Amino acid sequence: MAKPTTIRIPEDLLNEIDQFVQESNLDRSTYLREVLRKGFSLDKQDRLFSKYLRKELSQMEVCQELKWDPWEFLAQLKSRNLHLNVELEDWLDATGFSS
Amino acid sequence: MPKIVADSSTLILLAKCSLLQIVCDLFEVIVPKAVKGEVASDDLVKNYSDAALISDLLAKGSIEVRSPGISDTLPRPISLHKGERDALLLALALGNTLFATDDGKAIKAARFFRVPFIVTPKIVVELFRLQEISFKKARKSLEKLSKIGRYSPEIIADALVTLMEEKNGKTNNNKDTGRPVK
Repeated sequence: MAKPTTIRIPEDLLNEIDQFVQESNLDRSTYLREVLRKGFSLDKQDRLFSKYLRKELSQMEVCQELKWDPWEFLAQLKSRNLHLNVELEDWLDATGFSS
Repeated sequence: MPKIVADSSTLILLAKCSLLQIVCDLFEVIVPKAVKGEVASDDLVKNYSDAALISDLLAKGSIEVRSPGISDTLPRPISLHKGERDALLLALALGNTLFATDDGKAIKAARFFRVPFIVTPKIVVELFRLQEISFKKARKSLEKLSKIGRYSPEIIADALVTLMEEKNGKTNNNKDTGRPVK
């Protein structure tokens, strides 16, 4: 069930939204809910990837937060042109089989 | 036979490089139950060929499933997801075991516990050094780790240099011994 909330929006942004909603024959509340949902999802992903790259989260911790499997995680890294959070130092410090 | 405890990230990358089978043939590969769930559940097997391969190797016993058997919590401030955590704890409990991971945070935790770790590009170079795969196969695997595995270009470049050095070393040795190069 949708719950009401109040936020302050800059007047120029609100005017732009109202104009777009009118021109597109959209319901203003439905549109704002959809924008909020999409924006939240993208922002959450961006912030979790930033934490992953800083090694504050592991790959599987990100997967758990975003309900992804590890293959989806790799696909998302590719689509964002990001790399694994393994650093050159990690590769250089890795142990060999005979060590 | 050397023991490797792997987490999901390494199992998947080895499968993508078509090296998982050979690693399982050469080494005792062990995973905790949580990792099995992360990479070989029924749904994943239906959707990903890598998952189907891992599931097959698990069913054949080529990849062994074991419980860490010790406290299943890491001391603060270290936290990991269950599969990564159990794999690290299992490597710690077994001793004389390599923790295979391709996750920076898990590597950080391995350093904290002084557990020796290995990453997939290192496995590729080591397999070539041990003459278990050809130079061509090793180079292709590193390229896959770059493109599909999302390894950083600087690590892949360094791994390729190491691979070339290994190859040149082998070539020079063979000039002395006359042994064939794979």
